[in-house]
Amino acid sequence: MARLSSAQPYLCAVIRPQAIRQMLRWEWELEYRRSNGWFLPVLFAAMVAYLCSLLVREPSPTVWLALLWMTIVFSALQTASRSFSASAGQWLYLNQIVQPIELLLGKTMSTAGSSLLVTWTGLLLFGLWLGWPHIPETDASVATWPFLVSISLGAIAISATLSFTAALASKMDRGTGMMAILSLPLLLPTLLVSMRASKLALLGETPLVLYPNWAGEILMAAIPLALGGLLFPYLWRS
Amino acid sequence: MKAWKILAIVLVGYSLYAGLMFDVPRLVILNETIRNLYFHVPMWFSMIALLGGSLAYSFRFLRSGTEGQPSNLDRDNQARSFAEVAMVFAMLGLFTGMIWAKATWGAYWTADPKLQGTAVTLLIYAAYFILRTSIDDPEKRARLAAVYNVFAFVLMIVFIGILPRMTDSLHPGNGGNPAFGNYDLDNGMRMVFYPAVLGWILMGWWIATLRVRLERLRYRNNH
Repeated sequence: MARLSSAQPYLCAVIRPQAIRQMLRWEWELEYRRSNGWFLPVLFAAMVAYLCSLLVREPSPTVWLALLWMTIVFSALQTASRSFSASAGQWLYLNQIVQPIELLLGKTMSTAGSSLLVTWTGLLLFGLWLGWPHIPETDASVATWPFLVSISLGAIAISATLSFTAALASKMDRGTGMMAILSLPLLLPTLLVSMRASKLALLGETPLVLYPNWAGEILMAAIPLALGGLLFPYLWRS
Repeated sequence: MKAWKILAIVLVGYSLYAGLMFDVPRLVILNETIRNLYFHVPMWFSMIALLGGSLAYSFRFLRSGTEGQPSNLDRDNQARSFAEVAMVFAMLGLFTGMIWAKATWGAYWTADPKLQGTAVTLLIYAAYFILRTSIDDPEKRARLAAVYNVFAFVLMIVFIGILPRMTDSLHPGNGGNPAFGNYDLDNGMRMVFYPAVLGWILMGWWIATLRVRLERLRYRNNH
């Protein structure tokens, strides 16, 4: 793969699918095959879910959903804060094969993948330990797939913001502690939209009502990515 | 002294006098607290204007380092000073708003989109200042802070934009409550309100430029 000079104009950089594929393969090798790195956030999610089940017995649907989102957010935070930690030698290699924008996109994709894994694990364990929330007003036959879509889109949107703040924190001297402070205020709009989408899905609303909220979730994934595309090259210089 | 600074003094002075002395409409619940419109709302306009200035300077700082040019650390000084003064205005807006809320809604704090938007803005910029203090190298600090400033500003605007559509509100201009501009604001109030907004924006800008100049002198003293 030809090495691209970092001095080329950033805004019109072309994203090469091959470079992204290369990166994802690299992530897969490092995270899932050669180490147990992926297991850490999953274990974290499981622990938080179990803690929730100990602290609350038969929560109301709102509380259940709030606890689920808290679990998802903090597990995703764990996932994302690991995503930009690599040794100097690994960075040297990565910076040779990909451009900054491709790096951000690839990292966001791998973080989103890990976050989805964590989210679904959390959801499964919530269903197991806390039970599925019981909503009195609706009949029992509420489809679960709209809820799954809402949760999954929310996890992807959260990963988009977190990947960028993780990159920022990785450039700082005391970055790990800063990660939560930098990202949590920025996650609030995403969380509000996702919370609303998942709540409506849980109440058994028709997809017609849900589509605008899903569009909102997709938008909340697109905005940080677009901003990241604009800003990441400045961040990654040095 | 430049003309716009004289204008700032005249307009703020006028709005202080007129805001307290001129006649206002007699409305139930609001009563005389309607005068707070002249003091509370301009704080928010000024904050947004100053944050916009901070954003522009951050972006100019990032641009200054490209194409082989050395990056201009003074742009970073400007971005930081504008954000600092904007936060002072945010605090003032928050406190004047809380007093007003106690008088009309009965509580200092409600779970209101406007208040949440304020809280988030304060949190985001608190994170911005903490980010600045935790990096020692000035060049690196300036770059990371500028990147965060641009990123955070856009998400903050998104937050303020979508929040009122997500929740109901007591605040004018949200959730079915009309804004003052629609029909409550009579012509007499307009003649005080708009000069107050312009005056406070200019005043805030002036304070921020003073802060910038102070930092420049400090920098020159140390080097």
